[in-house]
Amino acid sequence: MSALPAQTRPPRARAAQPRPDRRTTSAAAEPRLRPAPDRALGRAKPRLVYAIVAVGSIGVIAIAQLLLSIAMTQGAYELDGYQIRQAQLARDEAKLSEDLDGVESPQFLAANAEALGMVPNSDPVYLRLSDGAVLGVPTAADGGAVASGPLVPNSLIDGVPLVTEQQAAQTPSGGQGAGIGAAPAAEPAATTPPAPAEGLPTPATH
Amino acid sequence: MDRVSRHPMRRILLAAVLLVAMVGVFVVRLVDIQVVRAAELNQESTQVRSETRTLYGTRGEIVDANGTVLADSVMRYDIALSPKQAASGPLVREEPDPADPAKTIDVDVPLDQVLAELGAVIGKPAAQLQQLIDDSLAADPDSDFAYAAKLVDTETYEQVKKLDIPWVVPYEHPGRRYPNGAVAGNLIGFMGDDGDALAGLELSEDQCLAAENGESSFLHSLKDWVAIPGSEVVHKQARDGGDLQLTIDSDLQWDVQRIAAAQVQATGAQWATVTVMEAKTGRLLAVADVPTVDPNDPAGVASDDRGSRSFTAPFEPGSTLKALTAASVIDAGKADPLSQVVAPYRYLPPNGADINDSFFHDDTRYTLTGVLIDSSNTGMSLFGERLTDEQRYQDFLDFGLGNPTEVGFPSEASGDLHGGPDGWDNQTKYATMFGQGLTTTALQIASVYQTIANGGVRMPVTLVEGCRAPDGTVTENPSTEGRQVISEQAADQTSQMLERVYADGWLSDVWQIPGYRVAAKTGTAQVPDGQGGYQSGYLVSVSGFAPADDPEFVVSVSIMDPVKMNSSAASAPVFQQVMSQVLKKYRTVPSGAPAPELPATW
Repeated sequence: MSALPAQTRPPRARAAQPRPDRRTTSAAAEPRLRPAPDRALGRAKPRLVYAIVAVGSIGVIAIAQLLLSIAMTQGAYELDGYQIRQAQLARDEAKLSEDLDGVESPQFLAANAEALGMVPNSDPVYLRLSDGAVLGVPTAADGGAVASGPLVPNSLIDGVPLVTEQQAAQTPSGGQGAGIGAAPAAEPAATTPPAPAEGLPTPATH
Repeated sequence: MDRVSRHPMRRILLAAVLLVAMVGVFVVRLVDIQVVRAAELNQESTQVRSETRTLYGTRGEIVDANGTVLADSVMRYDIALSPKQAASGPLVREEPDPADPAKTIDVDVPLDQVLAELGAVIGKPAAQLQQLIDDSLAADPDSDFAYAAKLVDTETYEQVKKLDIPWVVPYEHPGRRYPNGAVAGNLIGFMGDDGDALAGLELSEDQCLAAENGESSFLHSLKDWVAIPGSEVVHKQARDGGDLQLTIDSDLQWDVQRIAAAQVQATGAQWATVTVMEAKTGRLLAVADVPTVDPNDPAGVASDDRGSRSFTAPFEPGSTLKALTAASVIDAGKADPLSQVVAPYRYLPPNGADINDSFFHDDTRYTLTGVLIDSSNTGMSLFGERLTDEQRYQDFLDFGLGNPTEVGFPSEASGDLHGGPDGWDNQTKYATMFGQGLTTTALQIASVYQTIANGGVRMPVTLVEGCRAPDGTVTENPSTEGRQVISEQAADQTSQMLERVYADGWLSDVWQIPGYRVAAKTGTAQVPDGQGGYQSGYLVSVSGFAPADDPEFVVSVSIMDPVKMNSSAASAPVFQQVMSQVLKKYRTVPSGAPAPELPATW
């Protein structure tokens, strides 16, 4: 739209003044016409900068997004790897805790105790501290109790070796219950505790 | 000038019209896609691109009074195979090249060998798997799915994965596990393969325990199925079930089951039940039923043995019920422990009944205590007839007979009082005084002795301590409100008489627990054969409590038809062992003074 004023202004200027001599006025008239091309030239330069900035920004954004996307995809695989690892560890944990629950069961404890030669004593005796009175009748536990194993079945501990069997074999037999024997088998067979040197051991207090 | 200025206006107008039209088209399309068909399109796109995943809620645990886990949830796996793919040809597998270990070559593995490998892992012969594939293909040549094994454990699952057979796929399948095996298996019950509760507390407390599965979906990469970050949508959250806490002590339960099972074996009995109850609260510490189901393997015992007979199998209690009749008579003020009768061997009451004692004796001058010690039916009849039948029936109801206990066990029996005095014939009117002609469950008998032990206050029978929801709220708190059934004095006098039974009865040598005062009564009851008569075998029982000077524990033992020892001598050792184990376990202080003497005769 700036072309219109540029076209109309020179005739108006000419009409306002008496016609001058061509040679003398040509120098004075020329500066009045100059700004139009100047302005057009001045506007063109910033446009290019803006274009470069805009296009460049778009490019940068696109590259950044691409990089982010690559990073995220890479992260997805990393995440997937960790999730697979987590699932694997969770399964290991489940397996071990299942083993542990099985060997914690009263059946397994009792079978081990019996294998080690322990027998239950059904006659409790109490010592009353206030007067030293013995409550109840002390009776020796009679051995020969029947093996309690098959009486209260537990299919989860079938095939899990007892403490005594593990000590004889020294190596876990593998399978689901493999880890169970490791701890007790590692210790040397402490069947007879060392006798105290001077009577009963007493804590040293000062 | 006109041409120049009018022309842009037309162009502008045209452009505006075009613009509006285009925007209009877009708006219509937008509304159509985003609003009108949004749901349909979303679903379609989800189906095409995403994978749904089940979020498993965890079924609650069942724990004992100390928190020992009796039942918990584990992940198990179903192994499925595709018969069509299996039959399509040999499996190509990469193996190290024997010539050059750095390289691999493709080896054809025949189906037989693959099935043998798979069979070894899941514990089935290859022939059976081959049969499965053949059968599936015979039924449908395009068969693409068949279960090779169900509910295998994690170990097996990993081995199957390691085999890396393309047409074998494991599926997750939440399962149930009972770490203590048969300990309290009769109470806990078990679940079916498809996750339905089938028996016991698993069934009756399903509302507390049951979890709810959720569902999520996610987008995944095309080839290796890696989830695209941020694409997971949870459609429904999974909800975990609540934990159920019992009053049972699993160690004691194990010991009681062991003792009962040993005696069942030794005497050749059909079954046995043992109940241990806290005298002051009515809480059940152990309820043993032998044979006991191992919930890990319910098929291991006969279907009749998979429940809890203590709750579900009523029987005629026999002489253990004489304690109730004696308590009723004393409570009504019609007798005391020293009241006297002359009991004949055979008693023919005016109403036409015919009462005999189990052993022959001349007319004996019994006190009420003596009647209990010698368990005389005629003597008990002479005391029982001092009450009306209505009074005795009301006392039965007050003691909890004729109704299921507060536990509400699945298919718990109420016992049969034959509708009260109106439904009793002349013989039954007398027989009910000494425990025949009516049926009770083992739990009801234990509850009767609990009432006597607890100064006449009957406490509600409690098996479930509470249900703890995942958010920590505890529901199903048991009632602790007792009910005075007989006077405290009547209960104490009955207790003293039962102490004399324990001390002077014919089994006094068998069931001695040194240091403690114990009150107990035996029973040797005839068992209806279902055709109006009685079987040849007996149901022998002992019920009692200790320490009698301050009762803490009630133990009730019933053994069905111990063919090698058909008398209550079979149940007495069980009572003795269980009671001494209970007293030892709970560190009960032995009684100081001996039981007060009461004369049995006059």
